[in-house]
Amino acid sequence: MVVEKGKKTINRLELMHPLRAKVNETYLKSIEAIQAGKPTVWGMLNFYYGDPILKAMDIEVVYPENYGAIAAATGVAQQYLERADADGFPTHLCGYSLNTLGYTSRMMKELNGQIPPEAPFGGMPKPLFLMSSAAICDARYKWFQALGRYIDVPVWALEAPTPGAKEFFIEGYYDRMVDLEVKHLRDFVAFVEGMVGKKMDWDKLDKTANLMIEINRVWHEVNELRKAKPCPMHSRDFWSAMPAALFLAGDLEDSLRLYQDMYKEVKDRVDSHVSAIPEEKYRLVFAELPPWHSLGFFEKLAERGWNFVVESFGYRPPIPIDLSNVSDPLERISRFNLQFYVGYYEDAQKQNVLGGTFAYPYLKYAREWKCDGALLHPLISCRSASTHLPYVADMLMEELKVPSLSIEGDIVDLRLFNPEDALARAEPFEESMEHYRKIRRQEGFDW
Amino acid sequence: MSDKNKGLSKAQEIYLNRLQRVKELKAAGKKIIGYPCVYVPLEMLTALDLVPYRTCGDMKEPITEVDRALPSSFCPIMRTCLDCALKGKNDFLDGMVTIHSCDPQEKTARVWESYTNHPYFHFIDMPITVRPEALEYFKSQLNDFRKTLEAFTGKKLSTDKLEAAIKSHNQQRTLLRELYELTKPSPPHISGTEIVQVVKALMSLPVAEANDLLTEVISEVKNRTDGPEEKSARLFIWTSILDDTDIMQVFEAKANVVMDESCGGIRAYRAGVKFTADPQEGLANYYLNEITCARTFRQATLGETRKDYARDLQSRFGYLRRIVKEWKTDGAIMLLVRYCDPFAFEIPSLKDYLDSLGVPSIYIEYDYTIGALAPLRTRVEAFLETIS
Repeated sequence: MVVEKGKKTINRLELMHPLRAKVNETYLKSIEAIQAGKPTVWGMLNFYYGDPILKAMDIEVVYPENYGAIAAATGVAQQYLERADADGFPTHLCGYSLNTLGYTSRMMKELNGQIPPEAPFGGMPKPLFLMSSAAICDARYKWFQALGRYIDVPVWALEAPTPGAKEFFIEGYYDRMVDLEVKHLRDFVAFVEGMVGKKMDWDKLDKTANLMIEINRVWHEVNELRKAKPCPMHSRDFWSAMPAALFLAGDLEDSLRLYQDMYKEVKDRVDSHVSAIPEEKYRLVFAELPPWHSLGFFEKLAERGWNFVVESFGYRPPIPIDLSNVSDPLERISRFNLQFYVGYYEDAQKQNVLGGTFAYPYLKYAREWKCDGALLHPLISCRSASTHLPYVADMLMEELKVPSLSIEGDIVDLRLFNPEDALARAEPFEESMEHYRKIRRQEGFDW
Repeated sequence: MSDKNKGLSKAQEIYLNRLQRVKELKAAGKKIIGYPCVYVPLEMLTALDLVPYRTCGDMKEPITEVDRALPSSFCPIMRTCLDCALKGKNDFLDGMVTIHSCDPQEKTARVWESYTNHPYFHFIDMPITVRPEALEYFKSQLNDFRKTLEAFTGKKLSTDKLEAAIKSHNQQRTLLRELYELTKPSPPHISGTEIVQVVKALMSLPVAEANDLLTEVISEVKNRTDGPEEKSARLFIWTSILDDTDIMQVFEAKANVVMDESCGGIRAYRAGVKFTADPQEGLANYYLNEITCARTFRQATLGETRKDYARDLQSRFGYLRRIVKEWKTDGAIMLLVRYCDPFAFEIPSLKDYLDSLGVPSIYIEYDYTIGALAPLRTRVEAFLETIS
């Protein structure tokens, strides 16, 4: 297919733009508020657990993980990485963490707490406290602990129970997880109250929790619509729209309305058989964070008929759960957070797939979204996000005869992702997808 | 001349052929349960007459199988452990107990269970903090572990048996501390290399046999005249795991290693399990609070709203002060196994703490392969020159 220069092949959603604009606007307002002296917390992505507490307490949160991506994309990360290296941190640590450590070292040791002038997007001001999380990887709580070398601010490490796929079904297991989370969150609320010097508005927390759950329910339904053939929404739109649900960025009522509108738009596309790309030849799952700096790469693949219809479980909304009968907002938040971790477990057990969320969601996606292949993007300095990918590839082939293409990249070192090299591997992979399409049909699969 | 069937020689024999004894026990009808990390409460296995066997990797073994399951940029220890398992080297095991002591342990456990087929497999979740609700949750995890063991063995784990097992394992901890007392003199009565052999032997035997061995070793070491010679410096090593004599010999070529704060050294033995009305309470507290692995998030005060870096360092590394003072160490090696995040994040802060104690230190990284040891030797020699 020949595409006019400058013309985009991917048919982006109209509603993605106002949603994204709202997130960006909120971010800028947040920066202004911070610069005006409003208390700021540095937080780790915590999957709907600590964020609603801070949101209800009207505390501005910046996410050094996200800031790492910004610093990388704007070219300032390298100096922070070098600084962390000079301070003795091993270079193979998470790139985002090294960026934050170097940034904080510069801010505190050289600039007496002032935001570095070269810092993009207004920088990250000295926080009131740090909210880390045990979810997904060790780096995300050790990293904030390590910041103690530079800033004398307290750290709250959010617990994240991680059940075994089989053990989860031991009698009373789930309730014990809930119990841990609720008690932990109650203490966290007391800690936050102590830090900011004001009491929690429990009605506001109740409303925040409900909005968070409803936003994610609608967002889940939007993604369910993508099972349609042709798929009406590309992964590019998923990544653009996800921050409002995943990080609770922006005003939650506005976000809910925009996700509802997005649902209508995607539904219209399904009803009218409108595809996200001109000619859908291959449907793919994309595993892990995309190469943020090279998103044009997906345009090239769209020209070849590659439609990305589903993404990593870690960034997708939890499978909806009815929590309307849970009166305590802390318990509702805890159960919703746990749903992110264990929402697939019951289904996985029925299918006799071990590994919990390690591989099962991808098997489910490939089966239900009718994927021809998986594009895996292991991130060299983000081991936790990449650890499962060889296993995912093995299981997709073993169980469903779905092939995978692995293209290495990184979250900070942008040189590691080579789009030309990746595109050179597209054609042979198409042959592989064609081949396994035949095999699947021979073996009785329905796609 | 030492008796090959006793003491240090026996420990060396077991170290060199770890499988021999467990296979004999297996042939005699015992059930052998593997575990990859010192956080697994062995007392519960012992109390049910199961034999705990630590599944280690092998730094001399080429990696050939694990790439289909784990990426190359991943904890080399867990990669070699799983590689050995995928090659069938652990097929004799009746079961495996894994634990969420760190991210690689947790992620490897999921893959391990999927690719192997042991009659028993259990995963224990572990919180990261030592907060009361975390301790309560961990205790419930141990209770679940107990239930699955009871179902597997068909036996009830009684309080009496559990207390007896705790007593035996505490005795082992006491004995090992006693052995480490013998590294205090100059020159030490036992080398770091010999201690690696002894500790790995302990992790390959039922606790009662291991305690007998340890008693023999202590007696032999106390009375020996052929102990290590005095070298240019007394070192302590801080690392995640040091379980191969080839690594230790890199440091001992020109120095005496008098303490190894590692999971192949004193870490799992420094304290003892306290006896509580519910023995699982004591176990939970010991394993969550007392083992000083970098994986645990520690604070000077729980939930503190003010932070002081010096107090923070004391809460995280304070146990090292006694080592430095009583073992009269001249320097510290911060030995990092590549991609070990919990330990890697500690390095600069640990250096700050050691600086505050006036102890020179060096950070050295390797990838747990035999080929990585030669460059280590050069760096250690350079460090020894600077401190001597």
